[in-house]
Amino acid sequence: MDTTAKPQYDDGVVKYLTVGAVVFLVLGTFFGTFAASQLAWPALNFDIAEITFARLRVIHTNTVIFAFGGMTLMATAFYTVQRTNGVKLWSNGLAWWTAILFTIGLLATVLSIGLGITTGKEYHEQEWPIAIAIALVWTLYTFNFVLTIASRNKETHSHVYVSNWFFMGMMIAITYLYVINGLAIPVSLFQSYTLFGGVQGAMIQWWWGHNAVGFFLTAGFLAIMYYFVPKQAQRPIYSYRLSVIHFWALMFGYVWLGAHHLQYTALPDWTGSLGAVISLAMIIPSWGGALNGMLTLSGAWDRLRTDYILRFLIMSLAFYAMSTFEGPVMAAKSVNALSHYTDWTIGHVHSGALGWVAMVSIGAIYHMVMKLWKTEMYSMQLINIHFWLATIGTVFYIVAMWVSGIMQGLMWRAYDEYGTLAYTFAESVAAMHPYYVMRAFGGFIFFLGAVVMLYNIVMTIRTAEARSANRAEAVA
Amino acid sequence: MSMLEQYLSTDWASMTTHDWAGLIVTVLVFFGMLITFALALRPSKRKELEEQKYKILNDD
Repeated sequence: MDTTAKPQYDDGVVKYLTVGAVVFLVLGTFFGTFAASQLAWPALNFDIAEITFARLRVIHTNTVIFAFGGMTLMATAFYTVQRTNGVKLWSNGLAWWTAILFTIGLLATVLSIGLGITTGKEYHEQEWPIAIAIALVWTLYTFNFVLTIASRNKETHSHVYVSNWFFMGMMIAITYLYVINGLAIPVSLFQSYTLFGGVQGAMIQWWWGHNAVGFFLTAGFLAIMYYFVPKQAQRPIYSYRLSVIHFWALMFGYVWLGAHHLQYTALPDWTGSLGAVISLAMIIPSWGGALNGMLTLSGAWDRLRTDYILRFLIMSLAFYAMSTFEGPVMAAKSVNALSHYTDWTIGHVHSGALGWVAMVSIGAIYHMVMKLWKTEMYSMQLINIHFWLATIGTVFYIVAMWVSGIMQGLMWRAYDEYGTLAYTFAESVAAMHPYYVMRAFGGFIFFLGAVVMLYNIVMTIRTAEARSANRAEAVA
Repeated sequence: MSMLEQYLSTDWASMTTHDWAGLIVTVLVFFGMLITFALALRPSKRKELEEQKYKILNDD
């Protein structure tokens, strides 16, 4: 048993970021559901420029990836780095500045996209003043995290736990990828032109684009998995050595994958082949990591019947395994010829985003809320309801996109006996309608789950003190 | 030349500076991975590494 005295951790900023993440989850899934509904019922655009699909979709991606995902990563990184290293944050003030400036940057991003100010680069739509500000805030976050690790007592904490490696890998990779892809020549306060033209521009864009997935949405959330799955299961991770291999394989491998987004384009053919081959090779470490998390429950699978937070965490690993198999298959040229530019890609992204990223975050957030406010959740039953809403919503979403995506791919390349296209593009759009309705429905269910989560957390926080007092009274 | 030989053949004379840079980085990364995995997997390291996984269970 560890008898060393624990410092009073700096949890105020973690509490702020945790609640902020849940608020942005609700907002982001609302924007997503609204955008999905616009595809099914275009009248919902209301001819208002600021909320037309083209802008709303990007507001949705920025809100869920950078606002919800980013705040979750900051909250969990500041929470875990203190506990795994037995030390307070290097600078609590700097952490607060980081959190506040990050929030302002996110709001500025959403507002500017609504106003039509965008670079037009996927996952990097922020124009140069906001992009520079975000890069600086990210650097402050990294700086504080690294110096917190450096300030640990090296005698009691000689080894740095593996979750910190994943966080640092993400921080370093995202910094250089975001900065290089953002290099641009400003021509006015709200407009710039990228430094890279043509093929090089595409290559750099997807070097960043895929690694926003690989490092921000995978490595960072694997850090969460490697800390919160063992903590919630109250069992050590299945194999620490496997986690080390998982880490290095991701760090070496992920940066090579970007070109698989550009199969059959002006890029040299070998770049796409390289992207596809390394993508397929990445199945091995990804599945190794997923199994490492799942096998942590070896001999204690019955916990899943009663521990609803653990359900979120384990279900997220199932989706992680599924989407890290599906992605490489879609990267292979023969499959890509059918799947690219179709809704299958959207389905794949959401099996990763809803199934993996959101669910592992949700599990970690519930765990943190109970620890941070030193109380049980207001309602465990609501967590169970949230789990089923999230799972069913995700399944509805991705099944709809699989069917519509494959149907699109087949319709687009169908020829009649005269060698002309069998369907017009408009016919393929009309055929998608039932699946777009089904997708919007799935998204709405997932959104409802997020609302339930926010309510449960707000009530937990509001009643925490009263319930602690009642418990103390009962003990006395 | 067989199909396999043709597939694997390289015109070394036409390699540009960028090609060589890419090739060297790829080979270095490959060996870097081999060395890392050998370090992580060597039996003498097993106990030391596996002990780390218990430490977080009581950190709060």
